[in-house]
Amino acid sequence: MIKLNNVTKVYKGTVVAVRDVTVDIAKGEFVFLVGPSGSGKSTFIRLLNREELPEHGTIYVAGKDIGTLGAWRVPFLRRNIGFIFQDFKLLPKKTVAENVAFALEVIGKPRHVVRKQVPAILELVGLTAKMDNFPHELSGGEQQRVSVARAFVNRPPILLADEPTGNLDPQTSVGIMKLLDRINRTGTTVVMATHDRSIVDTMRRRVIELDRGVVVRDQARGVYE
Amino acid sequence: MALSPRYVLRETGQNLWRNVLSSAAAIITIGVSLWLFGGFFLFNYAVDNATARWEGGIEFVVWMQPEATAEQDANIRNSIEGSPAIKEWVYVDQNQAYQEFREIFSDTPELIEVVSPDVLPPSYRVVPENPDADVVAELSDQFVGRPGVEEVVSADQTIRDIQRLADKVTRVFLVGSVILLTAATLLILTNIVSAIRSRGAEIEIMKVVGATNWFIRVPFMLEGLVQAVLGAMGAWVGLRILDDTVIKGLSEPDSLQLMQGFRVDQGEFYSTSLLVLGIAIVVSGIGSAVAVTRYLDV
Repeated sequence: MIKLNNVTKVYKGTVVAVRDVTVDIAKGEFVFLVGPSGSGKSTFIRLLNREELPEHGTIYVAGKDIGTLGAWRVPFLRRNIGFIFQDFKLLPKKTVAENVAFALEVIGKPRHVVRKQVPAILELVGLTAKMDNFPHELSGGEQQRVSVARAFVNRPPILLADEPTGNLDPQTSVGIMKLLDRINRTGTTVVMATHDRSIVDTMRRRVIELDRGVVVRDQARGVYE
Repeated sequence: MALSPRYVLRETGQNLWRNVLSSAAAIITIGVSLWLFGGFFLFNYAVDNATARWEGGIEFVVWMQPEATAEQDANIRNSIEGSPAIKEWVYVDQNQAYQEFREIFSDTPELIEVVSPDVLPPSYRVVPENPDADVVAELSDQFVGRPGVEEVVSADQTIRDIQRLADKVTRVFLVGSVILLTAATLLILTNIVSAIRSRGAEIEIMKVVGATNWFIRVPFMLEGLVQAVLGAMGAWVGLRILDDTVIKGLSEPDSLQLMQGFRVDQGEFYSTSLLVLGIAIVVSGIGSAVAVTRYLDV
């Protein structure tokens, strides 16, 4: 599903964010990216979403070399990749339902599809009762659930999450992880960058550890360490 | 996955509403600049129509009587052909005079209906070698009162002064409109850049979820187009008023005889209107294109 071959990303010609990374992630896997701040986790995720291009190496997502994709095809790649932000990035003047519907409207989905899929995904994340609320009326955990709903409403085969529990308390984080685990069980590949030791240790999934841009550990059913 | 008209209209409307004051400023600036631009063309048409028979260096016209005999006509023609002081001349017969009459009075068909070619005088339109006023007066006087001649009319200094004044006025209109159109283009650009910045979070989400570049750009481009078209509509109303009051007022029957041909026909008015609309679209296209290509990183 995701394959990186000898990928190196350098910022401003001197700062090496990711160095000679080779990783293979199968369909339906749940992968934690761990490592200290500045270790290259976010760059790793941004490379998968084609927000960044590597200086060296190749990246395959769903069988396609995304480094050679024309700029006009990048949006179509991204429709296959859901993205969850640490700071939720909800639109404050839109309701919960409108925030989620926005992700479908801007890729040109017809109204009847939007009307069907938005309530279904809000039910999945447990926010049906709050679909008409605005983001400022929600708790942090609820806001992150909306962010998850927005990322998954189009049912992408890949979900990327950049420290999705970073702004949440431990109890709320558990709820978000249960939700991501549930999504993963539908066959969706999940790649999640995190600093949260307890989550990684509890879930015991594949762990890829980065240190100064280099993969120093790739362990099945791993722990944070 | 085509653009949904509902989505595009909603987003464009929101963009315009968010920047309502600067949008209004852009619309007014575009309207005034296009009004000046259109006014330049209308005045040019009006002046051309008023002085049409004096173009090409023609300094005087020998109007023959409609009932002048062939002998009288040949006599005048021989004098013109034989004069070394005359550089060139054009004979306008009754049919050509009738065509000219139809063009001048195309807005008043009732007048055309009561006139036929046989009542209109043929004429000799003369370009002298020397356009000096005294020389022209001396030359044209040779034809006054001769058999078959109805009247001799000279393009006096007043006509030349009006042509020069009109040239200056229309030049001011043109320069003013170009400066204002440049300002309007910059205003459209600024408005769109402002809309892009105020919607930074939405654009980021749109990019992440896979909206195409055009899906992101079109509402912003449409915003510029709406401003330009509204400005063009305002300019059109202004041009209509200019034509109905100033230009038609100057050509009233009780105004100066010279000004009676000062008019713009409907074809000229509508071609100017189309030009104004076309310029509006070009202006919005330039402003929008620069804004979305330089300031919208998709």
